[in-house]
Amino acid sequence: MASVNTEAKAENLEVKSTSRSSVLGFFMAAPPMLLVVCFVGIPILIALTFSLGFTSGPNRVVSIIGQEIHKKDHWWGTFAAYKDVFKDSRFPGDLRTTLVVSFLSTFLTLLMALGIGLYQRIMGGRIAAIMTTLCLVPLFVPVVISSWAIHTFYAGDGFMRSLLSHFGINFPTVTSTVSAIVIGSVWTSLPFAILMVTSGLQSIPDALIETAQDAGAGFFRIVRTVLIPLAITPIVIAGTFTAIGIMGSFTIPLFLGPNQPTMLGVEISNFFGAYNRPQQSIVMAFIVFTAASGIALIYIWANVKSAKQSGRI
Amino acid sequence: MSDQTQEEGLILNGLTKILGGRVIIDNLHLTVKKGEMVSLLGPSGCGKTTTLRMIAGFLIPDKGDIRLNGKDVTLLGPEKRPSAMVFQNYALWPHMSVFKNVAYPLKVRKLPKDEIERRVHEALGVVNLMHHKDSRPGQISGGEQQRVALARALVQEPDILLLDEPLSNLDAKLRVKVREDIRELQRRLGITTVIVTHDQDEALSISDRIAVMNAGKIEQFSTPQELYDRPETEYVANFIGSLNRVEGGYADGKVIPGDEIVGIRPEDVIYSATPTPGAFPATVSLVVPRGHFSEVYLKRDDVELRAFISVDVPRVGDTGFARVVKALVYKDGKLVRVA
Repeated sequence: MASVNTEAKAENLEVKSTSRSSVLGFFMAAPPMLLVVCFVGIPILIALTFSLGFTSGPNRVVSIIGQEIHKKDHWWGTFAAYKDVFKDSRFPGDLRTTLVVSFLSTFLTLLMALGIGLYQRIMGGRIAAIMTTLCLVPLFVPVVISSWAIHTFYAGDGFMRSLLSHFGINFPTVTSTVSAIVIGSVWTSLPFAILMVTSGLQSIPDALIETAQDAGAGFFRIVRTVLIPLAITPIVIAGTFTAIGIMGSFTIPLFLGPNQPTMLGVEISNFFGAYNRPQQSIVMAFIVFTAASGIALIYIWANVKSAKQSGRI
Repeated sequence: MSDQTQEEGLILNGLTKILGGRVIIDNLHLTVKKGEMVSLLGPSGCGKTTTLRMIAGFLIPDKGDIRLNGKDVTLLGPEKRPSAMVFQNYALWPHMSVFKNVAYPLKVRKLPKDEIERRVHEALGVVNLMHHKDSRPGQISGGEQQRVALARALVQEPDILLLDEPLSNLDAKLRVKVREDIRELQRRLGITTVIVTHDQDEALSISDRIAVMNAGKIEQFSTPQELYDRPETEYVANFIGSLNRVEGGYADGKVIPGDEIVGIRPEDVIYSATPTPGAFPATVSLVVPRGHFSEVYLKRDDVELRAFISVDVPRVGDTGFARVVKALVYKDGKLVRVA
């Protein structure tokens, strides 16, 4: 009987300790969650209601200042601001530019990160280490500085054109084109992508590669069937982060891109400031947000796949 | 091609490997007959895995050559060699099913789909894992993973099978079972096999011959019985089995003053309560139970000896008689006589 009582007490103590630690855990997680709700969640909700024509409350001041403000005509609001944006002749070009630049830059960034990561994983050595370190340099250069550096390098009166003109080569002016945005985006995105991809490739045990070699596989087959599939999660994560970052970028397209069509980040700023059309700018922001959410789904898929593979879920 | 080279499956001729400025393998010679199972046995760092990796083609020797079935394969990469290796941690690709893991080498060779299926089923049948063909490596036990790795090696029908400490990640009971499975398979298929291990029990129980390695050289290459009964060097005698090591000489069943090393296996020390020919009075100073036998320390006038006794185990303080059946006498590390 005594032992039954002791067991019951122990169980009781265990339950108390578990509930205490879960309360403690909740209070530890509460401050950051509260911050996210207050500074991200609520502003998003307010912006969404504004884009749907809810112009009172927190949206009252901006509704008074802004032009072409649409007020709700149903209980759920109105899509008038959305119609404005889709009817605007600039928007399709901007959207296309944003998507093309995001896709192209992400593709090139991943290609370069994979190339460098694979070189380091397979060849190793000092050259690979130097290359990887050099590729991390942009991580420590502010985007505004690097954008300006790229501008002076590729501008009409920039270094490239000046240098090559000495040899009689008429190098095209790259600045103020979509290509310049791609160059700038790859430059700024590469360090993070390299960190992710390289760490993913480095974590693959040598034995898995050597077994493939032993089975008769050559370099490209090993890359295709062993290295990339095993590092797919960090590669996908690097890709999604890069794509989302580029899609919402502002500084690089502002410094290096053309005036029209331009990327949506710049256009949102123009609509908000220069054109004083805050409702339409928020609509554009929501369109970018929706596209980014689609990419985020790929990120979630990659994480779930990785968790399943490692047996965490 | 001579009959001799046909018979000799693998020949390592004067292999030398220097890594990081250190000589890891030093002029190593070894001949493995076709269908033979040979163990490379030695402590960590003795060069056994380096030797195996040179045989597999992952390392190119700095000197010497490797011949396999009469063909020089020294400079061939692993993908070109007719060998298959099973790694210490099995090295199964976690993103592929058991079937795909085993089928991989055949897909690389671009064999027809139906032949791949037939051979993979055959290989999985040999290791009794057909029921797991659709499982991922993470879903099966360590022993089963080991068998998948073995099936992946066997499906290639290699001229030589290389096993790098394949049992070291398994628990003791499973290790015994899997090593018996490996031996049975190797005998049935008649495949030339080189296994690297640091476990002498493992080497003694499954090998046709064992190469005991020390500091990049082979100390002795013999059958397990010969290695145990007649270790050619003091190092081998110490490494294989237990040994009473005494400095001195040996004559008439007694250890006498001298400049040799006398090695006496504990099982070669016979204890009796009554006097027998060649036995000398001994007192039991310590008894350590070891399960199915006891390790008994016997103090004689000339020497203290350990003996393994499984029946009528004496107690501490008992007096009786201890006789040495066989002694190995070494001078400068080399066996000079068996007394």
